[in-house]
Amino acid sequence: MSATRMEGHTAMKIRTWEYFIREAVASLRHNGLMSMASVSTVALSLLILGMFLIMVLNLNNLAVALESQVQISVYLQDNLSDRDMREVGTRITKLPGVTEVTFVTKDEALERFKERLGDQQSLLAALGDTNPLPYSFEVKVDKPERVKQVAQATGQMKGVENAKFGEKVVEQLFTLTKWIRIVGLILIVFLAMAALFIIANTIRITVFARRKEIGIMKYVGATNAFIRWPFLIEGMILGFGGALIAVLLLTKAYGLLAEQVYANLVFLPLIPQYPFLIHMSVLLLVVGTAIGALGSTISLNRFMKV
Amino acid sequence: MIHMSGISKIYSNGSVALSDVSVGIEKGDFVFVVGPSGAGKSTFIKLIFREELPSSGKLTVNGRSVVDLLPAEVPYLRRGLGIVFQDYRLLPNKTVYENVAFAMEVIEAPRREIQKRVNHVLDLVGLRHKIRTYPTQLSGGEQQRVAIARAIVNSPMVVIADEPTGNLDPDTSWEIMKIFERINKVGTTIVMATHDKPVVDAMKKRVIAIEKGCIVRDQDGGAYGYED
Ligand SMILES: Nc1ncnc2c1ncn2[C@@H]1O[C@H](COP(=O)(O)OP(=O)(O)O)[C@@H](O)[C@H]1O
Ligand SMILES: [Mg+2]
Repeated sequence: MSATRMEGHTAMKIRTWEYFIREAVASLRHNGLMSMASVSTVALSLLILGMFLIMVLNLNNLAVALESQVQISVYLQDNLSDRDMREVGTRITKLPGVTEVTFVTKDEALERFKERLGDQQSLLAALGDTNPLPYSFEVKVDKPERVKQVAQATGQMKGVENAKFGEKVVEQLFTLTKWIRIVGLILIVFLAMAALFIIANTIRITVFARRKEIGIMKYVGATNAFIRWPFLIEGMILGFGGALIAVLLLTKAYGLLAEQVYANLVFLPLIPQYPFLIHMSVLLLVVGTAIGALGSTISLNRFMKV
Repeated sequence: MIHMSGISKIYSNGSVALSDVSVGIEKGDFVFVVGPSGAGKSTFIKLIFREELPSSGKLTVNGRSVVDLLPAEVPYLRRGLGIVFQDYRLLPNKTVYENVAFAMEVIEAPRREIQKRVNHVLDLVGLRHKIRTYPTQLSGGEQQRVAIARAIVNSPMVVIADEPTGNLDPDTSWEIMKIFERINKVGTTIVMATHDKPVVDAMKKRVIAIEKGCIVRDQDGGAYGYED
């Protein structure tokens, strides 16, 4: 606020910080039950925040992985000459972002179709000797965002019947993550408010229990910053403690999940534990501590007017 | 040291505690502020340490306008004042020593100086032998002596006291007054609101009498002047 107060901050001695921390810890002990309730609420909120983070980021990761694997199938019109077909291939190759173009003959297409049908190949008997599958190109691109664009461009080329890619799955996945994100956000906001409220309340009780002491501190000329710090630290410890619990549980759970996935669902592209978990832990600890600081600031502003 | 000119204080509920008070208190003065209950004595004291702000008028302490202080500057005003209340206001969970040291700790005085000063002022009020005692184990007079020690431990220029002997018997009141007189002897200004007629009459100090928020008498070596 003013220069005087800032000076107070920077000039504070190590002994003063020791005093602040001692006061904060003493107060935490004194309000054992409330402290525990605060820590648990923060832990629960951040646990859920963490779970949503893990879910959303992994689904996103999965969607991106799928999309990048997606190749575009460009089906050619019937009755094209070899030259026409080669020309289509050359034009596709020249499109921006295209990395690989493979020609698929009618025979190869049929072979693949048979493979996909597996033990239901008898269905093909009805076709007799005819092969209804067209000639096609399989096209790969450098970036998943390009898939749609390249598919559109090739679809409009002369001699091309149509161009397709597995957009449905990918788009559904993106939609799903979007919804999870929205639901998660709402839930997290509510829980963060609950955590904020309970921390503010804990600090209010502390402030009330120590109003006499605060009064005397004011009479003998303690600065507001000096009076506030122990309470601020108390709130931050509550927030950090809750976050720490959430982080430990989430890290452990993610480790177990990863084990299961690697053992049974190898194809699922789970985000690797490191550095993902470290980033998430840092984020949660910062958020928890911030909630604690904010909660006690709210309380101090309301109950410690000077 | 303390200068009021045209000071009025009207509380938010409309009660007029002081109206158009002008007075000057100089360094080394020993001033009794007397008057019937509700006259405005406590308000007079509270304005000096900016517990309350005047509704109008000018008030300077040590040359600085108290009204114009920023909230962040108020602690520095109070470091130059020692404040003593009728109800002692000691912390029950701290020892005598800790209660006095607390006033120095919260303004971040060096540890060695704290030790020296606390022992010195406890000597001054005659409680050096009780440093490990808790307030609840002390008599009222002893508790007030601890409060006085706390008020002077940061060497304030002015000690302001609101009925410091209000809860004490006459003999104990005298002991407390002796301490204030000793503090005054070394140059500390004393401003004391009081009801204690025998004390005021005997000590022959400057008396400022307030009635219904107005100064009705300001007299050196004066007497209490009321029969209440
Ligand atoms: N915080 C307050 N709010 C409203 N009125 C007050 C307040 N403090 C004091 N008063 C009124 O101001 C007048 C002077 O009070 P006070 O200064 O306490 O007098 P004294 O200390 O001489 O008894 C009284 O009428 C009292 O009721
Ligand atoms: Mg009074």
